[in-house]
This record gives sequence, structure tokens and C-alpha cells, in this order.
Amino acid sequence: MTRAFFSGMRIHVKQFTVNAFDLSAVVLWPILYASIAYYLLDGKNDPELLLSASLGAAVMTMWALVVLGSSGALENQRWLGTLELLVAAPMPFAVALAPITIASGVVGAYSLVATLAWGALLFDVPLSIDSPLAFAVAVPMSALAIGMLGLMTAATFVIYRAAFHLGVAMQYPVWIATGLLVPLSVLPAWVGPISWFLAPTWGFRAIRDAALGGPAWTDMGMCALLTVVYFAVAAVCLRVFENFARARATLRLT
Amino acid sequence: MAPAIAVEDLTRTYRSRSGAFRRKTTVVEALRGISLSVEPGELFGLLGPNGAGKTTTIKILTTLLLPTSGSARVLGLDPARQARDVRGRIGYVFGGDRGLYDRLTALDNLRYFADLYRVPVAKKRARIAELLELVGLTGREGERVETYSRGMRQRLHIARGLLHDPEVLFLDEPTIGLDPIGARELRDTIAGLHAGGKTILLTTHYMYEADALCDRIAVIAAGTIVASGTPSDLKGTVANQTIVEIETFGAGDDVIERLRAVRGVSAVAVETREQAQVVLVQSPVGAEIVQALLRELDGSTLGKVVTREPTLEDAYVELVRSA
Repeated sequence: MTRAFFSGMRIHVKQFTVNAFDLSAVVLWPILYASIAYYLLDGKNDPELLLSASLGAAVMTMWALVVLGSSGALENQRWLGTLELLVAAPMPFAVALAPITIASGVVGAYSLVATLAWGALLFDVPLSIDSPLAFAVAVPMSALAIGMLGLMTAATFVIYRAAFHLGVAMQYPVWIATGLLVPLSVLPAWVGPISWFLAPTWGFRAIRDAALGGPAWTDMGMCALLTVVYFAVAAVCLRVFENFARARATLRLT
Repeated sequence: MAPAIAVEDLTRTYRSRSGAFRRKTTVVEALRGISLSVEPGELFGLLGPNGAGKTTTIKILTTLLLPTSGSARVLGLDPARQARDVRGRIGYVFGGDRGLYDRLTALDNLRYFADLYRVPVAKKRARIAELLELVGLTGREGERVETYSRGMRQRLHIARGLLHDPEVLFLDEPTIGLDPIGARELRDTIAGLHAGGKTILLTTHYMYEADALCDRIAVIAAGTIVASGTPSDLKGTVANQTIVEIETFGAGDDVIERLRAVRGVSAVAVETREQAQVVLVQSPVGAEIVQALLRELDGSTLGKVVTREPTLEDAYVELVRSA
């Protein structure tokens, strides 16, 4: 199962990187978001705020890549006719699907590097990291947790033929509910508890706390917990939705 | 010995909805209670026109669709309830351009599916090399699939379907869209697999393919099996018939209807071959109908007129027409 998982990761990263459009989106999005954050915050005198905004922009890109990458990849698999073959494999479907979403998260980890480099080069955002070890663990941990949230949402993409549209629709609500787009303090109080169940909240906090100082390991613990919960929910949902798709004959676009 | 595939009274209904406000439900009965049995080592053909229910049958047997009612068994297992167990023991190959990662190489595709189908690491490399050799793609495995011809893709499909050495192989119209040489090469590959002892369920709408390859055939039309048996058995259904082939140019529907009404005519079918229409008229052996047919065609431009023995294709046309 582990071999199938890593083989899947390799194949989907490869698929992703041979597509010029996807690749240019990966390269340009974080730069765009980081620039917007810089000008929006006008934080020339607050380097910590700038670094925090840059990291937020990177996590935003990570989620965007996961949700759009996995929904797009699933729609693509349907068009290629390979979705049926993944379902028809003796492996649990979650093992075939998880590499798609996690590969998107891993590609999204690049956005962090691009954002920090862009911020340092153009806007003098400081690159000092408070705890390099925590930072080195927080980035892949966040990518994994966000990828697993993507897996959970991707379960629904299996039954909908227009998966990509659904993916686009899921992008902004998570950005808003996790406080990445606007601070949670300006949103109604009931949004706060929702953010606790979303991996980008803890992923961002883990990366930010590792960079600026704070309880990064606690945040990473939450990421790990959510990863396990997401995988369990996704495995159940995938089994149910797979049967649903077999009953409704929606695995193939013909 | 228990059959490799056993299907009993299988039905499948598709429901689709359209319209945003006044939702309209369309119901299509793809399978209306089919039964068939395939013995171990047999190459069984499911022959029928487009939309007859061939692919639906194969998808139910390969666990990709749930039946509406009836029962199916593959190697003694229920594909609806024991899907995971069935999947590890069968191979599924469909025709056409799809089912492969086009931007990746053939080797990438095979390696990935080998891992998904639990081919042991120690055997993976040798198995892939063996299959590339079997389907004639050795030396081309490093090229991207998008550069492959249709025939090469189809052969790669076969290699993918065989990676885990399945006991039963399902081939859904594997030669569709192939040029004659590609189709012949693929038929040779299928014949080789059959000779090696694989149980194969093949769907096709090419009569000569079924005739050349299959031990037994079931003809399916409108979701019902209308006949089954060996190719000789099926030909026997029209053994007491003679076929008159008349090449015409521009004969209208009214002319064809007049031919049907000729005394002694059992069936009339029309095929288009380049600019010509070839009218195939079946009649009982001994019925003298040629002169009467030519009288009805008076005024039409005629080419060759040939009287011959019926083929499997004639049997098929008759079976599907009368379904």
C-alpha cells in the first residue's frame, strides 16, 4: 500500500509538472498573493506583520493548489478514462486518491519558498526563522494536513462530474473561515469554532509560530490530529461515494 | 468445474434527470434479464450493436457498476458485494483512446498500475519487460503515450490489463477504431492469450472478429440475449437460407420496402460500401427470387449481383433484426 501511495505521488507530481498552465499557476500565484498582501497591509514599518502576511499568502496558495489541483485532477482522470481504472484496482480507493491531493499539497509547499524569496528580494521582508527545526517540520506537516482536507473534499468530487467547478467553489470559503483572507476578528464569532476544524488554520499558525516564535509544536499536533481525522472520514466517505457512483454510473464521462 | 463467469437474469436500468425546474427523468433499460455462463479457459464473445448492453454487462462484472437486479458471479465471487476480491483477480481493458496517462511514458503508466495492482517489487521489472515484449512495444516504452498510434495505445492497454496476471480478462471492444493491420495484430495477441489458457470475455460488434476468435458467442440486442452458441451454431440459424447480394446506386427506401414485399424474401438489409449500396436479401434455399428482385429494381443503376451461402454476419443481422 505504501509503494502504491508513493508511486501515485510520483506519477501525479510528474503529471502536474508537465502541464505548462498548472506549472505557471504554481509559480505565479504565490508571487501575486504576496505582492497583494504587501501593498494591502502597507507594513513597511512592521517586518513581522509582513512575514506573517507572506506566510499566510503561501498557505492560501497551498489550499488553492490542493482543492483546485485535486478537483482538476479528478475531472482530468474522468476524461482520461483512468478514474474507472483507479476504482477497479484492488487497492482501497483512498490509497489511489490520496497521492493526488497530497501531491498538490507538496507542490504547494513550493509556494512558501517562492513567497519568502519574493518578499525578501522585493519588499525587504525579513527571513529570520525563530526555530528552523520546527519550521522544517511545520511545512511538510501543513502540506500533509491540507492535502488530507483536500482528500476529504475530493471524496465528493468522485460523484460529481463537474468536480473542478465544485473545487473552485470550495476555495474562498476555506480562505475566509481560516482567517487567511481577512482576520477572524472582523468576522462573526461563530466563524471561530469552524476555523478550528480546518487544517489551513493550524498549518498557518504552525508555520508562523515556527518563524516568529510561538507554540508551533502544539499547532503541529493539531495538524497531525486533523490529518488522522480527515483520513478516517475520507476513507468512509470514499467507500460510500464509490458505491453511490457505481449505482449512478458516474465514474466515466461518455 | 464451476464456471469462471455466471450471470443469471441480470438487469440494469439507468435513470437520468434533465432540466433545472421541471425535472424530467429519463429511464433506459440497458439490460433486461440476461443470463450467460463462461467456462474456465474459454474465449466468450458478447456480440451486439451499439447500445445493446455489452459494456453495461462488462462493467457490472468488473465491479464498476451495480446491477439493478439479478445475480453475477466471477470466479465464484459476487462483483457487487465482494468487489475488492474480484478486482485483484480480473483484468479490464477497454477500447478507444482513453484509460492511459497520455503525458507520461508507457513505462511510467505500467509502473504505476503495477503498484496499484500489487505486483511484487521483485517481479515488477521482469513482468513489465515480458508484457512489453508480448504486445510488441519493447524499445518504445520510454516514449510519451501521446505520441503513440491508436494501435500502440491499445496494445499498451492490454499490457496494463495483464500486469497482475489476472485469471479472467474482460476486453470491451478492444479493436474499435484500429486500422486493419493494428486490429489484426491485436487479434493475434488475444488469440495468443487464449491459447495460453486465459479466460476471456470479449465484446465486439465485428462479426468476423467474433467468428475468428471466440469459442462461443452470445448475441445481445436491446438488453436481451437473442441467441448463443458456437459460431457454427449461429451460422446454422440461417443455414437453410440463401443470400442474394445486389450492388445498387441510389436505391431509395421505397425500393427497399418493395424488395421486402417480394414473395419468398425473409429479410433485407442494406450496407453502404463507398458510393454503392449493397442490398442483402435472405430467402429460403431453393426460392427463385432473383428475377423478381431485379424487376423491383428496374430503373435503378445496378452493379454486381451475387448469390452466396450465409455467413455469421448474416446470422447476426437476422438475429438482431428479429429481436
